[in-house]
This record gives sequence, C-alpha cells and structure tokens, in this order.
Amino acid sequence: MEDVKIKIRRSEPALSSEWRYEEYSVPVVEGMVVLDAVHYIQNNIDPTLAVRWNCKAARCGSCSAEIDGKPKLMCKTRLDSLGSKITINPIKAYPVVKDLVTDVSQNYEIAKKIPPFTPKQGLQEPWKFMQIDVTRSKEFRTCIECFLCQDVCHVIREHQSNYYGPKHVVKIAALDLHPIDSIDRSELMHHDGGLGYCDITKCCQNVCPEEIRITDNAIIPEKERIVDHAYDPIGVLIKKIKKRKW
Amino acid sequence: MEKNSNSSLTWFPPEFKELNWRLWSFALILILSAGALILYPVSEYQGYVDPFYSPTVLVIPLIALFRLSCYAYRKDYYRHVFRHPLACIDGIRFDDKRKGYSGEMTFFSLNNFHRYFLYIAIVILPFFYYDIYVSMMYVPGEFIFRLGTIVLIVNTILLTLWTFSCHAFRHLTGGHTDCYSCKTAGGAKKKFYNGQSYLNRYHEQLAFISLIVVLAVDLYIRALIVGWPVDFTFLKFVI
Repeated sequence: MEDVKIKIRRSEPALSSEWRYEEYSVPVVEGMVVLDAVHYIQNNIDPTLAVRWNCKAARCGSCSAEIDGKPKLMCKTRLDSLGSKITINPIKAYPVVKDLVTDVSQNYEIAKKIPPFTPKQGLQEPWKFMQIDVTRSKEFRTCIECFLCQDVCHVIREHQSNYYGPKHVVKIAALDLHPIDSIDRSELMHHDGGLGYCDITKCCQNVCPEEIRITDNAIIPEKERIVDHAYDPIGVLIKKIKKRKW
Repeated sequence: MEKNSNSSLTWFPPEFKELNWRLWSFALILILSAGALILYPVSEYQGYVDPFYSPTVLVIPLIALFRLSCYAYRKDYYRHVFRHPLACIDGIRFDDKRKGYSGEMTFFSLNNFHRYFLYIAIVILPFFYYDIYVSMMYVPGEFIFRLGTIVLIVNTILLTLWTFSCHAFRHLTGGHTDCYSCKTAGGAKKKFYNGQSYLNRYHEQLAFISLIVVLAVDLYIRALIVGWPVDFTFLKFVI
C-alpha cells in the first residue's frame, strides 16, 4: 500500500507562541485509523509529538482532533476514508497544551454550575420508574465527552459568549427529561447558560461520533421549555388556571 | 477568555449593522415576491384556488412568519444569509470573532413565538382541503377529477406533513412531558410522540419540498390562466 502524507500542527504555547505544520510520511496498513498513524509517527519518526488518547475504541472521547478541518475522533476515522494527504489540527475552540493536546478544563467548570440529579421529595427508595419514561434521556447518556460538539459550535469557537455549549445542553436535557427529577434547568439555560445564543445550525449534531441528535432532541426541546415559561403568556395562563384550586 | 455579557446586548442585533448583501438581497426578494402577489393576483381559475390566496392573501404575512420562525429555515438562513457559520468544516466556516453576533438573544428571540404561528397555520390548513373539494365540485351537479386536483392534493398533503412535523408541535403534544406513565393514556401519548418524532426527522426536507411545491402550484395555475395546455380531465360525471 502507498504511504500517506500527514501534516500535523505542532506547537507548545508554554515555551513559544510560534507554531508550524510538520509533514510525515506514514506507510498505510489496511484497517488503519488516523490514531494508528499518529502512533506510528510517535514511535518511529518523532517521539516528541504529543497526543491524548486512551481506549482507541471511540469510548473515552480523548483523541478529538480536526482532521482535514472536520472535528472527528482520530480512533474512529479510517485512513482509507481520507485522501493521500491529511491535515490534523488540535480542536481549535480550546487552548493548546502541546501539539494535538488541548486544555478542555473549562467544561468541568461549566459542569459544576449544573444542578445535579435531584429526586422528587417523598419518593420511597429504591426509586421506581417506567422504561417508557427513560427512553428519551437514554440517548443522551451515550455522550462520551469528546467535546467535538463544543469545538464545532461557532458560539464557543468564534464568539466566546456565555453559552454553556451543546455538550452541556445534552447533560441538562438528560436530567430535565428524567421522570423523577424535580428541577427545571431551562431557567438556568435561559439566563446563565445563554441558550439564546445557539442558532441551531446543527453542526454539533453533524459531528457527534455517538450520533446523538443533539439539536433536535436536546437543544430544541430545551429552547421550547424556555418558551413555555418566558415567551408563551397564554401557556403560562393555562398552567396557572389548571393549578388553581377552585 | 473574555466573554460577551448578556447585559451588553441591545435589541437591535449586530447582524443587521453589517454590510451583508445576502441579507438585503434576501429581504428584497421577499418584498418583490409580496409585491408581485398583490399586483398580479389570482383568485380562482376553473375551480382551482391558488394556495397563496387561500383563504385570502392577507394571511400571507402570518404564513411567512411561520416559515421564517420554523427551526428548519432558521438553521438555513443563519447559515447562508448570516454565515454563522456557513459550514461546520474549518476553512469554509466564514464566521469570525470580529463579526457581531447575538444569536437569538435580541431581535431573533422573536422566533420563540413560533408556536403561535403554528396555531394560525393549523387554523388555515382546512381551507386547503376545502380547495380540493371545490376543485372537484366547482360545476354545480357535476363531479370532475383533473390533474390540477392531484396537484392540489399533493400540495395539501405536503403542507400538512410539514406543519405537523414541527418541533413546536412535537414539544406541545408530548415533548414537554417527563413522566408518561404518570398521565392518563400516557402510553398512547408516548406512541403519538414517537410517531411525530419520526415525522420530525424529515421536517427540514418537508419544509423545503412544501415551499417549492407551493410555488410550483402557483405557477401551474398561472400557466393555466394564460392558456397553457397543462391540465387533463381523468373523470367526469353528473351527480
């Protein structure tokens, strides 16, 4: 099989603000993924190349990068699905630590702001709920926290607003849709979470390696929950009438 | 990293302050189209009612707002008119830190009233079914089934599917529920929600196909008026 030319963005901001592309020639073996090629470079050409990885099975979400401009998991992208010249960049929404390794710790700060699962009061343990009520939120629990959706989101990447980002909306939707959870987090998303910044261009949904329908099933339902209490006076009135004890 | 503050936003969005020929040509197309509909009206021709004039051309602004606030179209005009971003791939995103952006925090938060336009659309929808009936029964005492009726049926079905595959409808009919098993007929409600969700997957396609078909039906009826031989009678009998 032919060799493939791989261009990788190299930098180490702690030492220098300069960056450069370095090109490597990697022999292709059938079934090889991009992460294999990066490992080949590390082991045989340049051991100083930094890459974060863990499972190599698209489960841990560590090896996120931009392959030919598209945010992807390196371990899930086969070389034969790409051309003979490949460019790999670190995910651009976050500061680079070294080469392909980025600092995604701001996501952990956002995660701390989200109220955790809070069951309704007075429920007897063990909690019981029906399968029919959890099927919707199950989809969101497949999230592997690769932050590709955060990376591709233009609100975070280009505009740095206070929007939490799609990954966190997925987390919030999973909690809000839970049948025995007692908190409505759409209020938080409306104000602190900045969900109004999202203009539903569906890039997050396009790049999700777990194929979570982020926009259709998490973001838009959360936006509609915001509409329920902030933009729908008739709906609010009907709810008040229903709750009132005549 | 410095962040935009919500409090610094004004109601007039920065998106409108840019020299964006896409936005103004899009607005011009909308104005010219509205003008053309008013200047060259087609009320009815041989039993065919033009969809733009059913029940009256006065509802066009409401239907236009239903289309403009639809999640499917929102995605497309934010991408292609404002380029926020044009595409998801680096290099062809055409979004930039220097471009002003307020998303749906300012003027475009009006899109949150989509469900009210949905209610209006649901009220208007039966008129299209009535138009199908009129196209077959417009001669007293006679039933006639023509190609134009099939065109109207296709148009009405597509409009119905687009309207009821709406994300707001999805939320209102089941999406707002967290616990189906706690509700009366919760199982049926969940089944309805699942069915509607299946339809919702094709909402974008339906939005554009139905828009193109509405335009095509209008042109078809106008073609008939100027005498193009594009209508055929399949069935005709006295009742």
